[in-house]
Amino acid sequence: MTAQATAPVVDIRGLHKSFGQREVLKGVDLTIAPGEVVCVIGPSGSGKSTLLRCVNQLETASAGSVEVLGTEITDPDVDIDAVRSRVGMVFQGFNLFAHLTVLENCTVAQRKVLRRPKEEAERIALENLERVGLGDRGDAHPHQLSGGQQQRVAIARALAMDPQLMLFDEPTSALDPELVGDVLAVMRALAEGGMTMMVVTHEMAFARDVADRVVFIDGGVIVEEGAPADVIGNPQHPRTQLFLQRVLDPTHAHGTTTD
Amino acid sequence: MTTQTPAAARTGHVRARLSPRRRRLVVRVVQYVVLLAAFVAVALLIKWDSVAENIFNIDAARALLPKIPRAFGNTLLYMVCSFALSIVLGTLLALMRVSEVRLYRIVSTIYVEFFRGIPALLYVIAVGLALPLVVNFSLTSTLLKVTIALGMVSSAYVAETMRAGLQAVPRGQIEAARSLGMSTARTTMTVVVPQAFRIVLPPLTNEVILLTKDTALISSLGLMIPEFELTKIGQNALSSGAGGGLTPMFVVGACYLVITIPLGIFARRLEAKGARSRS
Repeated sequence: MTAQATAPVVDIRGLHKSFGQREVLKGVDLTIAPGEVVCVIGPSGSGKSTLLRCVNQLETASAGSVEVLGTEITDPDVDIDAVRSRVGMVFQGFNLFAHLTVLENCTVAQRKVLRRPKEEAERIALENLERVGLGDRGDAHPHQLSGGQQQRVAIARALAMDPQLMLFDEPTSALDPELVGDVLAVMRALAEGGMTMMVVTHEMAFARDVADRVVFIDGGVIVEEGAPADVIGNPQHPRTQLFLQRVLDPTHAHGTTTD
Repeated sequence: MTTQTPAAARTGHVRARLSPRRRRLVVRVVQYVVLLAAFVAVALLIKWDSVAENIFNIDAARALLPKIPRAFGNTLLYMVCSFALSIVLGTLLALMRVSEVRLYRIVSTIYVEFFRGIPALLYVIAVGLALPLVVNFSLTSTLLKVTIALGMVSSAYVAETMRAGLQAVPRGQIEAARSLGMSTARTTMTVVVPQAFRIVLPPLTNEVILLTKDTALISSLGLMIPEFELTKIGQNALSSGAGGGLTPMFVVGACYLVITIPLGIFARRLEAKGARSRS
C-alpha cells in the first residue's frame, strides 16, 4: 500500500478503441493519482463511457496501454478478475442482481470472489448499506426500491469489496431529478473520505464542487483538462465552451457554433 | 345504392337497423341457441345405456382401483427422474448453444434438431430394446432406461426454452457481475442461470406436463408388473376381457389430469407472479 502511495492508480497511455470501422477513442493519455477525483465530461458519443469501461476492461483496448493499481490490464495474460475485484463500478442502469435481495447483492461477490465467511460478508455489507443510508432495506428486492435507492445499493455493493478505485458511469443519468441529490451526496461523502474516483457525468455542479480535475473529451480525444474552476469556469477551447454553453444554458444553445 | 349520397346512406342505416347494443344481444342469443343445439345433437347421437356399460362402468373401475396407487406412483417416479435429467441436460445444451465456442454450438444444435425431429416413441423403443444390446455395460434397470429415453427427448425442448431464458438476461447483469471480479463461469452460475430459470419457469412447467403424458410411451416396452405405469394398467385391463369396455382408459386418463391440472394452475400462478414482479 505505502509503495503504491505515489504511483498512479490509473495510467492510460495512447489508448485507442474501435468498434468495427468506427474509432471511438483516438489516443487518450490520462493518469489518476491516489485519492484523486477525476470527472470526465463531454458530449454523448464522445467516447467518455468507453474510456471508463476500458479501465476495468469491460471494453478491451484496441491499442495503447492501461495500467490499473500497478497491473498492466492490456496484457492478454492479465488476471482481470483479480484487478476488477479491487475496482468498483457503478452503472447508469444500476444493474442490481434482480434475483437477489439488497443484502445478497452486497454479499454475493464478497463471498464468491473474496471468499469471506457469511457473517463477515453480511457485517461489511450492512456497514456499507448504512453508509449510503439504506441499512434498513437489506431484505428488500431491487424492484421494490426507487431508482435513487437502487443506485445507492449499487454503490454499497461496490464498496463492500473494499475497492481502491471507484468508476462511475453516468450514475445519475437514469434518475428522476429529485432523486439525483441523494446519490450525489453519497458520492461526495465518498470523495471526501479519500476514495480515488473516476466519474463520467453530466452533473456540472458535482464536477465543479467535488472533482480535483475535470477532463473534457470530445471526438475520442481529451480536448481540455485541468482544475474544475478552469475547465468549467473558464474554458479555453472552443469545443469546451460550446459544450458547456449547451449543458449549462440549454435553452440558448443555438447560433454560437464556433468551429 | 351507388347513387345514394353518404349522408343519406348513413341516416338510412340508422333507421333500418337495431342499435349496436340490441344487435349484440341478438347475436349472443343466436350463439347460445347454436351451442345448445350442438349439445342436444351430441346427446342424441350417443347411446346412453351403452355409455354406462362401456365407459363409466363402476365395476370395471373398481376392479382397476387396487392397481392404481402403484401405477400412479410409477408414472410420477418416471416423470420426476426424466425431468431431473432433462433439466440438467437441457440447461447444459442451452449454455452450449449460446457459447462462444463454435463446436459447442454445433453439437447442441444437432442434438436439439435430432431429438425434436424424431417421434419420442421411436426413441423410447430404441433405448428400451436396442440400447442394452449395444452398450458394454448392463442396462437392465427400467427406471434408468426410461430416464434416459424421456429425459433426452425432453432435454431438447428444455434446451430451446432455456436458451430463450439465457438470452433474456440483461447484458448489464453480466457486466455488473464481471465488474465485481466474478469469472465468466462464476457469473454464469451465480447470476445468469438463476435469472434465466425465473424467466422460463412458466414454459418449463408446460414441459413437465408434456413429459408427464409422454410417460405413457413406456407402456410399449416390456415392463414387469411392479414397473407398470398408468397407461400400461389401462391397456392390460382393456385387453383382459373383463368387460366394462373402455372404462379403464377413462380411469387412467383422469389420473393424468390429477397430475397435470395442478401443474397448469401452478404455471399460471407463476406467470402472474412474474408479471407482477417485473412491473
